[in-house]
Amino acid sequence: MCSVVRDEPGNQEEGKIIARYLVKDYILKEKKGLFARGQKKVVHAVKDLSLEIPQGKITGVLGINGAGKTTTIRMLASIIAPTSGSLTMNGVDAVKNHLWVKERINVISGGERNLYWRLTAKENLRYFGSLYGLSGNSLNEKIADLLKTVSLEEAADIPVERYSKGMKQRLQIARGLINDPEYLFMDEPTLGLDIVIAKEIRRLVQELAKEKKKGILLTTHYIREAEELCDYIYVLDKGKIIAQGTREELKELFMYKPQLLIKVKPSDDHVLNLLMKHQIQVDGLSIQEPELEEVLMKIISQPDRRSQ
Amino acid sequence: MKRILLVVKAEIFKQQKHDYHSPFVYFSLLVWPVLGFLEVYYTYKPFEITGYMGITDRKELLAFLGTGFMAYTCFWSMIQNAWSMANQERTGGTLEITFLSPANRLAISYGRALGALVQEVWMFCCFCVFILIYTGTLVLGNLVMLPFIFLLLIISSTIWGGMLNTVFMFSRDASIIMDLFDMPMTLFSGSRIPVRCFPQWAKVLSLFFPLTYCLNIIRLVLHIQEEGNGWAVDLSGLAVCLSIMVAITVILIQKVEQHNRENGELQFY
Repeated sequence: MCSVVRDEPGNQEEGKIIARYLVKDYILKEKKGLFARGQKKVVHAVKDLSLEIPQGKITGVLGINGAGKTTTIRMLASIIAPTSGSLTMNGVDAVKNHLWVKERINVISGGERNLYWRLTAKENLRYFGSLYGLSGNSLNEKIADLLKTVSLEEAADIPVERYSKGMKQRLQIARGLINDPEYLFMDEPTLGLDIVIAKEIRRLVQELAKEKKKGILLTTHYIREAEELCDYIYVLDKGKIIAQGTREELKELFMYKPQLLIKVKPSDDHVLNLLMKHQIQVDGLSIQEPELEEVLMKIISQPDRRSQ
Repeated sequence: MKRILLVVKAEIFKQQKHDYHSPFVYFSLLVWPVLGFLEVYYTYKPFEITGYMGITDRKELLAFLGTGFMAYTCFWSMIQNAWSMANQERTGGTLEITFLSPANRLAISYGRALGALVQEVWMFCCFCVFILIYTGTLVLGNLVMLPFIFLLLIISSTIWGGMLNTVFMFSRDASIIMDLFDMPMTLFSGSRIPVRCFPQWAKVLSLFFPLTYCLNIIRLVLHIQEEGNGWAVDLSGLAVCLSIMVAITVILIQKVEQHNRENGELQFY
């Protein structure tokens, strides 16, 4: 176990990851040819990002491709170090104590990488568990428990290369839980999965946050997924947070109020006037809530983006 | 310490399950070195043995090549494994996941080397031991030296392999290392040609390879061609070489972590 010196965190810092003014710059070298030296370019992947990930909640990070979502996750998970800014976990400096942080977090990415395909599910989990100092009966029990959680008990001794995409993703989730992390970073965990498996994974994510009190950061391209799962959402564009709030707050801030839909027969451009004047019979009445997808599109396409 | 040993054990187990999963793999790991051994032996065979190389008869030549190929295979397998391991793990994304854990990085590096070594060379080592028994080099009287020889080979190759693993973690373009080390190590370390046949400049070059000291010690122990500089000198030379390699590994592994944290390079493939 890594030991750290805590900077006497205040109560508000306990049980959450706090990022303040995080910046991540990359230096990219342009390719000009075999012997010609290309110019170096500084790319600002993330700019002045401040966010919080509390335990027991699902925090969403939304944005289009290249918005900086993956860089943000990789920074918060201590895989890469920020160029500047502060990052604390439960009050501990996460940049200086990245090995301490790594004991308490894990990352689950969408896709089929990050597993040993020739190994079985059990062998994969045994290997990854050993990296966290787990062994013997406690590791075996943990593996059995996780395989049950992700419904892979019957495929436990089959090599991963024989798995379907959904099974591999479920095994990824089991791998991400092997060290019983306090915080989980999920980078598009339902990417490319069919609706049944995706729904099952969403249920699991909810259970991890609500019942097991894990702090979850979720990035996704599927807006409905964010709408269904996230307690709080940050919208990223070009490395900056351009909006944040609960889904209701975001809808309220960036959309009009809910719309009243009145179905009439026959349809007319001046429906309301006609309704009033001629007492036309109303055939149906419904209230249409704005969808988060529309909100996101509106936020991203706004010329004067504002951060709330 | 328990956690370090756990990581090493996990790496050995993973290597065995992932890379050495079929009897055909072991078959090829035996056949190619044996063919290499036979090629060199039959290249020497038409020539008369005059004792110029310090080898007095055909059986001693067989024993010389047997020890040379055994030690060389241990060291070479480390280069090959470091290259393929780094490529596979980078592409599969598992290298970054390994670094996502708090596991001791040196244990990962040395564990991978040890895991590959044990799997890759045990069959060929059995063949070489058979050659040594056939030539009368290994007899009941010195059989006790066999564990010492294997221990020497395991420690030296693992330290060598750990360093190479770290180099390959540092850069995906490190495959030049394969070319850089293969032929010079084959030529100058005395695995196939006795070092005493070389001109002075080549003898100096041979001092840079830990394999040279390993072979000198093994042949000294087994009384083959005895061309080393004596126990003390060869053991000291090996100790210095291994210490330098450990130091390089420790420094490089810190650089790998730092470099990755700055640039996220472990995910590039």
